[in-house]
Amino acid sequence: MLLKIAKTTALVALTVTALNASGHGGKHFNDQAEKDRLALIKYFEDKFEDPLKNRNNFFPYSTDDELENSIAKGLKHQDFAKGNYAYNIDGKGQYEDIKEMPPYDDAIDAGEALWETEFANGKSFATCFESPSVAGSAYPYFDNARNDVITLTQAINECLTTNGEKAWNTKKGKMASLQAFMASSATEDEKVINVKIDSQAASDAYERGKEYYYTQRGYLKLNCAECHVQGAGQRVRNEKLSQLLGQTTHFPVHRLKWKGVGTLERRMSGCIKDEGQVPPGDTSKEMKELLFFMAYMSNEMKIDGPDIRK
Amino acid sequence: MKKLTTLIATAGIAALLSGCTSQPSIANAAKLDLNKVCSVEVSGIENVIKTAKEYNDIAIANNLEFRRLNVNNSALIASVEEAIKTGAKTVNPLHHKSKPDKIKKSKTKLETNYAAERACRFAVVALDQAVEAKETWRLSVPGDGFKY
Repeated sequence: MLLKIAKTTALVALTVTALNASGHGGKHFNDQAEKDRLALIKYFEDKFEDPLKNRNNFFPYSTDDELENSIAKGLKHQDFAKGNYAYNIDGKGQYEDIKEMPPYDDAIDAGEALWETEFANGKSFATCFESPSVAGSAYPYFDNARNDVITLTQAINECLTTNGEKAWNTKKGKMASLQAFMASSATEDEKVINVKIDSQAASDAYERGKEYYYTQRGYLKLNCAECHVQGAGQRVRNEKLSQLLGQTTHFPVHRLKWKGVGTLERRMSGCIKDEGQVPPGDTSKEMKELLFFMAYMSNEMKIDGPDIRK
Repeated sequence: MKKLTTLIATAGIAALLSGCTSQPSIANAAKLDLNKVCSVEVSGIENVIKTAKEYNDIAIANNLEFRRLNVNNSALIASVEEAIKTGAKTVNPLHHKSKPDKIKKSKTKLETNYAAERACRFAVVALDQAVEAKETWRLSVPGDGFKY
């Protein structure tokens, strides 16, 4: 009898172990995120399949000529990595002109110098990051041990402070330059966005980021999606709105408005401010989970930073 | 006596759960009549700005505070409180980048009563719409509530 119980217990234990090894008891923590990502890809591919035919999804006062000749059609998943230049034909012409002498080249050079500069204790960023290319492609990620999303901005500042240096401004300056060098290295190595959700806590963080993105806020009662999902491809004055898909692939960016390079956190703060709300801190839980959600939506897309935006 | 105590306790809990207490809270924000509590004419400017401050503190604690044209609602409230003390007819609130050692005024200039009413509405609506959004945010998610 005792032998029978022992055998049964061993069998159950083996089965549970096998199930866990093959995907956490049959549960994949990224199931919902994957469903969301694929639905988003389908939405944008459908929307931009034929803007003239889908004119109800675009700016209501657009002429047939604009829908036919100013917005690219038949776009597929990877095309969206270019932000609004994926579909904005006129804008893309100007963008390519500027790219001939990219204004962010100086920032990449400055970032490389920062990477190579030793801290006062003799160490450098190379002691914190495997390589510039890995640093430019591995963030954000969910750290299960810390139960928190870790962003590149946070990791850079943690590297500085643990080595006795002062933390940098999280929006521009040295932070943006170093990130430009890292993004440029990742682009050269043809890295892709690869955000993983491998625990319940990571899945919960993703869900909170998603809720933040789609929640109407501020005195204008806008959510991010009104401009960058439903509104993508439409105009605000004469500017065409970029789409959520591929929005994190090309940061940091040199914005003409900024007259310099800025981080993704700087851009997101601007968007939330434009909704009419005080933006969360750049390394706050809300901001990091928002970026985690956005980056997951761009999974499998090529990194293409730094880049230029208006 | 025991029955009475139980009844009072039950009523208290019920009132708390239904948000029927007068304590400012996110749940209570939706129940306020803004045309009354945020009207200087009906409630008086001191009460209006008191309501604004109470609800805006909750908005700040929940990262929901409004900002318009570089003016945080808390700065608008502070400018009205200052105007009440000095009797100023207009307010010029501080820019959100203003620091105690480096004062920076915003470009916003408003009539004091109007500023009080806006501050009050901004404070309450920030909470009210956060509650509403819990029910509505999925409506804009492709593959979920958003149909096209």
